[in-house]
Amino acid sequence: MGQTTFNHADDSAVPRPLVHVQQLSKTYGSFSALSGVTFSVRSGELLGLIGPNGAGKTTLFECLAGVQPFDSGEITFPFGGAQRPPKSSILFYVPDGITPWPDQTVGWALQFGIGFFGGLQDLYPDIVRELSLGELLHVRIRALSKGQRKRFLLGLGLLMPQRVLLIDEPFEGLDLRQSREVAAVLRKFVDKGRTIFVSIHQIADAAKICDRFVLLSNGFVVAEGKLDELTSLAERKQASTSLGDFEEVFLALT
Amino acid sequence: MRSPKCPWFWLLRKEWRELMASRAWWLFLVLIGPLVGVSFISAVRTYAEASGLNGTSVGVGEAFSPLIGVWAPTFSGCELAAAFLFPFVAIRLAAGDRQSGALKMELQHPISSFARIATKGLVLLLGWLLAMLAPLAAVALWKSYGGSIYVPELVTVFFGHLLNASLTIALAFAAASLTVNPSTAAIVTLAVTVGSWILSFIAAVQGGWWERAAGYTPTALVAEFQHGLVRLDAVTIALVLIVSGFAVAAIWMRLGIDVRRRAYESVALFAAAAFVIFGCSLINRSHDFSENRMNSFSIADERALREINSPLHIEVHLAPEDPRRADLDRRALSKLRRVLSNLQVDYVSSTSIGIFEQTNPNYGEIWYLMDGRKIVSRITTQEGVLESVYSVAGVPPPGDDSDIFRGHPLAVPPRGAPFVFYGVWPILVVCVAFFFQRSRS
Repeated sequence: MGQTTFNHADDSAVPRPLVHVQQLSKTYGSFSALSGVTFSVRSGELLGLIGPNGAGKTTLFECLAGVQPFDSGEITFPFGGAQRPPKSSILFYVPDGITPWPDQTVGWALQFGIGFFGGLQDLYPDIVRELSLGELLHVRIRALSKGQRKRFLLGLGLLMPQRVLLIDEPFEGLDLRQSREVAAVLRKFVDKGRTIFVSIHQIADAAKICDRFVLLSNGFVVAEGKLDELTSLAERKQASTSLGDFEEVFLALT
Repeated sequence: MRSPKCPWFWLLRKEWRELMASRAWWLFLVLIGPLVGVSFISAVRTYAEASGLNGTSVGVGEAFSPLIGVWAPTFSGCELAAAFLFPFVAIRLAAGDRQSGALKMELQHPISSFARIATKGLVLLLGWLLAMLAPLAAVALWKSYGGSIYVPELVTVFFGHLLNASLTIALAFAAASLTVNPSTAAIVTLAVTVGSWILSFIAAVQGGWWERAAGYTPTALVAEFQHGLVRLDAVTIALVLIVSGFAVAAIWMRLGIDVRRRAYESVALFAAAAFVIFGCSLINRSHDFSENRMNSFSIADERALREINSPLHIEVHLAPEDPRRADLDRRALSKLRRVLSNLQVDYVSSTSIGIFEQTNPNYGEIWYLMDGRKIVSRITTQEGVLESVYSVAGVPPPGDDSDIFRGHPLAVPPRGAPFVFYGVWPILVVCVAFFFQRSRS
């Protein structure tokens, strides 16, 4: 069973790492879902967890959020200092493919999120407007389409007070226009100082919005860095100088 | 700006809204009315006929107690509802969050898992209290007929069913948390209920420890409350089982904890619960709340029996399935156990039914042993047992100075009850459900 620990602040790096994951491993019986996963989430960045279906992205997020146990490894919060804040005050995870509180209306569920999790009431009008949730406030969650449900979940996540938001597949179920709108909203929150960590299996989408990337393949982190860093790495690996886009970079590295 | 309200308040509100949104809950509420109603109508009609309605022999019902004649059968509708309907409501509430994925979000709040489960339990208990409006309507109707109500015994029955409902909730929660699928949880819950009946059946055949264990099943618990008897050992054991069920649910709802650790915690919990239950089973305190003292000897007899300090050993040579043994236990020994703290009862038999033991000269005998003295009797009535006890203890029987329960006959048919339970109740529930659904959207 892994451990969650908090260390004293590390002032040496700018931007500071908010979450550091070290040698995280998780197995389901004989199947290894995560193997020695190591990476950092830095303050104020939009970090993309990139990997094909089955790479272990959701498992990794659930281990980070504490809704699934992991076998070994460590998750540390280097900025925590001596006070050691609980993980629940730092991270909030928005799962994909769920229909929480299906019999409640969107408006009530958002208010429940604010009330129960100590969410940010001030942001409520902005988030409702920017995610076009206004017309859905009186609709029951079970009646929402896939895209509407995704927007509701994103809204709920963005209302949470935690510094780091983990969002599993934020563009899943959204059409092109909605994807662009959501990407703009996420960017806006990051620009305001929020740290957002998203898992995306559509590599082209990820390349457009993320500051940095963690590439996950078959439970292993194969690379971590900015797009240019990953491109250089891939070119060195392929002994090539003509890798066109991020999809080719990804294929070269995995 | 942060919301100023306490998170638990929000959780409570959420659970209440989830219950009100549950079709299973409204269906349960619709059905409990007719279920209670059919029992009440049948009981009142029988009570009235025995009391002389429509020219039947007047006087038969003079010793009738509403507790046994009306309330026990009426509330048996609640027992059926608790065993076969309420578990589905509880499972829906407990498993719903996991099924919908809401649990993955809620688990990220630091509130304890037990508090989360206890909140669900509290909401369900409030729901059960709402359902109890059906038997309360029966009480109101009975009063309107001019029927007698003895509040302590009615409260006892009510409390017994509340405890039974709590046991159902705890069992359903534990099953819902231990199984992935709600339908599996429903099967597990019903299997435990049926298992408790099998235990009672085995107890009737085998006697001994089986019989003792069967005394703590929900069915036995409810039966005693329906007779106005509150046994402290049964109540404390029920409470331990309720808390244990909630704790198991709390342990297994923590999805982020390693399965092995959850298993170890559960084993430790079972061990602790078994230890406490054993301790509770040694408690010999009870109170008879029935108006006619059906679980007690007369006050004079109890006073005389309390003067006996020497240990009394009773050896009953009757097989578990011999009806005389059941008579003896119900009419005399259960009452004797409540008065004499130094009483040991042993049942001696070679077979379960006793038919093939009739040639044994001792079969059918009841031996009373005290301070080297021995009295042998074959009488299984209350009077016969008391006579033997006084005789072996060398204590003169007391004079009968107790008030005789004269009963409350009532030769009134259940007027208006079918209209209330088959008409008003279901329509009212459907209307309230409709109102709730409309007001939330």
